[in-house]
Amino acid sequence: MSAIQIRDLRFAYPDSEPAIDGADLDVEAGEILLVTGGSGSGKSTLLRAVNGLVPHSTGGSFGGDVVVFGRSTRTHRPRELADVVGFVHQDPEAQFVVDQVEADLAFTLENLGTPPAAMRRRVEEVLDALGIAHLRSRAPASLSGGERQRCAIAGALAAGPQALVLDEPTSQLDPQGAEDVLAAIGRLNTDLGTTVLIAEHRLERAGPLADRAVIVESGRPGLPGLPGPVLAEYPGAPSVTRLGRVLGWDPLPLTVRDARRLAVTVELPLADLPEPAAPGDLLVRGERIRVDLGGRKVLDGVDLEARRGDVLALLGRNGSGKTTLLRALAGLIDVERGAVERIGSVAYVPQHPGSMLFAPTVRREVTETLRLLGRRDHGDVDRWLEALGLESLAERHPRSLSGGERQRVAIAAVAVGGADVLLLDEPTRGMDWPSRAALEQAVRAHANNGGAVVLATHDVELVARLATHAVVLGDGDVVADGDARTVLSGSLFAPQVLRVLPPYLTVEEVALAVGARQ
Amino acid sequence: MHTRTPLHAVTWLIWALAAAFTVQLAPSPVYVAVVIGICALVVEMHAPRTAFSRAFPIILSLAVAFGLLRVLLTALTSHGIGDVWFTLPSFELPRVLGGFTVGGTIEGPVVLQASAEAFVIVGVIAAFGAFNALASHYELVQSAPRAFHELGLVVTVGIAFVPSTILSIQAAREADKARTGGRVVRRGRLLRLVIPVLESGLERAVALAESMDSRGFARSTAARAEQASAWCGLGALVALGGAFVALIGRADAAALGLSIAGSALLVFAVFLASRATERMRYRPRPLTGADWTVRGASLLAPIAVGIAAVAGDSSLVWVAQPLAWPSVSVLPVVGILFLLAPMLVRPIAADRDADEIAAHPVARTAPGVGALIGSKPQ
Repeated sequence: MSAIQIRDLRFAYPDSEPAIDGADLDVEAGEILLVTGGSGSGKSTLLRAVNGLVPHSTGGSFGGDVVVFGRSTRTHRPRELADVVGFVHQDPEAQFVVDQVEADLAFTLENLGTPPAAMRRRVEEVLDALGIAHLRSRAPASLSGGERQRCAIAGALAAGPQALVLDEPTSQLDPQGAEDVLAAIGRLNTDLGTTVLIAEHRLERAGPLADRAVIVESGRPGLPGLPGPVLAEYPGAPSVTRLGRVLGWDPLPLTVRDARRLAVTVELPLADLPEPAAPGDLLVRGERIRVDLGGRKVLDGVDLEARRGDVLALLGRNGSGKTTLLRALAGLIDVERGAVERIGSVAYVPQHPGSMLFAPTVRREVTETLRLLGRRDHGDVDRWLEALGLESLAERHPRSLSGGERQRVAIAAVAVGGADVLLLDEPTRGMDWPSRAALEQAVRAHANNGGAVVLATHDVELVARLATHAVVLGDGDVVADGDARTVLSGSLFAPQVLRVLPPYLTVEEVALAVGARQ
Repeated sequence: MHTRTPLHAVTWLIWALAAAFTVQLAPSPVYVAVVIGICALVVEMHAPRTAFSRAFPIILSLAVAFGLLRVLLTALTSHGIGDVWFTLPSFELPRVLGGFTVGGTIEGPVVLQASAEAFVIVGVIAAFGAFNALASHYELVQSAPRAFHELGLVVTVGIAFVPSTILSIQAAREADKARTGGRVVRRGRLLRLVIPVLESGLERAVALAESMDSRGFARSTAARAEQASAWCGLGALVALGGAFVALIGRADAAALGLSIAGSALLVFAVFLASRATERMRYRPRPLTGADWTVRGASLLAPIAVGIAAVAGDSSLVWVAQPLAWPSVSVLPVVGILFLLAPMLVRPIAADRDADEIAAHPVARTAPGVGALIGSKPQ
């Protein structure tokens, strides 16, 4: 019998269209099953149905059956499934109950009435299992995203559940944090045989980890199968898989390692790579910027300039000063030394779009900026809604949207003001592929129309497709600066295609080269 | 369990209550100032670097602002008591609103007396703020009777929202500024700040409730005997506290009745609790000698001041009419100094968190799980 059986599941949130429409899915004991699909496809709802949060905490109309290790969610509430299913949220901040890591790990065990000696041993074991023993006395709020998410997984794991359900556990994390979390999940599965059901947008790392994958589309999961074949036709597949498709490889690779092995036989004429465009007029320039925050030197002598037509990517690990630099360019914080010269107008979109959304509809949210600026002409509203692919969402409430959609609303609401330079802080965090595609298009259009965009990001695939220039920050100053191809080429965190077939950066460039050969 | 302060949360609670009672019993500004100073010293020495300890100065300044407002209102509405400092234009409120005069003579004794009273409030809030900065709220909940555990935890989680709300106010303010490219628009600004903050808070609350449910919260509820025991305990506390107040207020009959009732409830609570099953607790913090010392010493402060009050010490209360410097006597001062007891305990190094990070820079690589579970690591 399967560990988790979902039979003809139908569910609609109160007063809404069905979110899940006839889902059947079996999760076998001991496997890692990857669930993917666009925002709003119902994969989150599907996962929440597994431990009974749907329908017990959401309400709504529920049909069909979900049976978890022999217990039906119809008769068992989430708290009565806590000993067999551990649940991890997308947002690592929202799941800590106690303000100390070690005590939080014990929370589930205390609720289950575990005897103190067993409790103590379990906590020590999960601390080691996730490599967080050194964080035991810290407050979750003081941890980095990756550390926090590993602590949250440890909290779900402490009660020794047979299955872990993770809803996009890495979408809010930087690459290092994401890697740590996925490695920990893989280790748990291998060493403890924990059944894992994981939803992810970014498949570069989660794809190879999974035993099987399934794509959810409009409330219905497709046929699960090996990740390679299942993801073959999926537009959100990792770059190497799409590269394999362009080059007609079989089987399709999921990892850079597989792809490299296949790439040995590929001979491509060196196509004309796009030349860096001639520099446009200067829009914003930072000279020897130094910023101190809380007595710590965050930026120390950073030079940076953005010209018309530039898409400038800021790279660097968490805490390297990317956000601070954007805020300094936007004039939100004062620079200690050096100067910021703003020739064009500058606008900034913060990392968490939730901090600015307040209007009842997406359209009113975007219009509001123009109203604040005292403009009567609202023609730009439709242009930006269209540019970011938001027309169909224009009358929705911004807060009912997915993370990626919200981020796009926030960008539209800031960009509509007509600033020459857009400063975007981690714009692709938590975005599914349609949102990413819409964002890329809007950024390109803005740069082509004579604007400039500065992005702080961890997403090298985005940088590869979009950026004309890249700047790497480390320990408060500039480590590398130049056109994107040059900067990424020497990097350990190069995008996938560059690692398989240098000097190509993107699948599109390879496709062009293939076209030239034929 | 690693702990961030050297004393138990209940010890801090007793210490803070002792400080608050002392201020109430000795409302003369001199004594209040000493207690506030002690609170600040203890916070400085022992508070872990959390959002709550950073909030201590904010709480104090809020208390001062509140006090000043109170002084202002009193000065504007109380007249005909003593020396007039100066006179403001005045108007009379309509009958419906009380019919008293606002403005007019501003009198020295009124201002001074109101200031002294406001200062007492600042003192009580300082004790409360110090407790928040010093104690782990969760530790306090863990020590509460089983029947209060669920309720207490919900309150604790609620309190934890305060610092995160302050952060999201900052984020919303910045987003609002970023939106117009730095141009400040005041119209409708409150709405643009309040809605994101409230909605973010609500979203977090829903997510947290789901997380707590997923993690088995409230899976088993307290047995009836435990609930009864807890309520009896609470009743006993209230009755004994009332007896204490009645004693100070020289209502001897009431004090006697209340103390008998309180003692009876206490005995009954202990009897019921002994029949109930124990809740499983993870590494409950043991009480150390330091805890008992601080508890005992702290309680000496209100007791000493109480004795002074019963003995009719006139320095405890200061009145502005006739105007004189507040006087000081030995017994209350010695009593209040007992509140310094936490200073005798060695603090836990403030920058330990930072040390730990430095000590484990690459602690990411964890040992295989199999080595730990089932067999002892070699």
